[in-house]
Amino acid sequence: MARSMLIISRQSPWAGPSAREALDIVLAGGAFELPLGLLFLDDGVLQLAPMQQAAAVQQKDLTANLQALPLFGIEALYAARRSLDERGLAEASLSLPVEVLGDDALSALINRYDHVITL
Amino acid sequence: MATLHLLSHSPFADSRLSSCLRLLSAGDGLLLSGDAVYALQRGTAQRQALELLPEGIVLFALDEDIVVRGLEDLPEHLHQVDYPAFVELCCRYARTNTWL
Repeated sequence: MARSMLIISRQSPWAGPSAREALDIVLAGGAFELPLGLLFLDDGVLQLAPMQQAAAVQQKDLTANLQALPLFGIEALYAARRSLDERGLAEASLSLPVEVLGDDALSALINRYDHVITL
Repeated sequence: MATLHLLSHSPFADSRLSSCLRLLSAGDGLLLSGDAVYALQRGTAQRQALELLPEGIVLFALDEDIVVRGLEDLPEHLHQVDYPAFVELCCRYARTNTWL
């Protein structure tokens, strides 16, 4: 029985390599058909902000990679409601369909997984 | 003489922005770059604090950092600058204070 894993991504898409590395873990795990979840927490929810323009600083667009997640069979995608509210992001504007969870639901979510990795 | 305060970290992750706002004095400038420009996101407490800056404080932000983050509906009193203007500002103020 494969062990399940929750990846918690909590850095903004522009703050260094953490956001992309968290995504790489998820995609690699997905390739091995591990039961995976991805939670966007704190500044990590900024990865879901609409209308980002990576080309303006000669970077690759993380949004396109994130939108590929459902194609790789990774559909357990979550975002923290408190983090979205603090950053003025409306659920309807996000670039990826995620389940938005309150604080209580977040602790329950973490408890459902065998392993947790926070980046 | 006045100080140009340089902020480049996310305003949601720590207290740099709130500490800096408390330390500003008349004639100072505040320049946001990198993730610090997320303070301009409308509907946040950070944006509200920037809207309430006293008259004598000038607010700057690096334009390309705003563009890549897709920020819109910016404060009216914001001065967007490019890198050459950033350098020019550092020379114009008596000192710079970088909140590393």
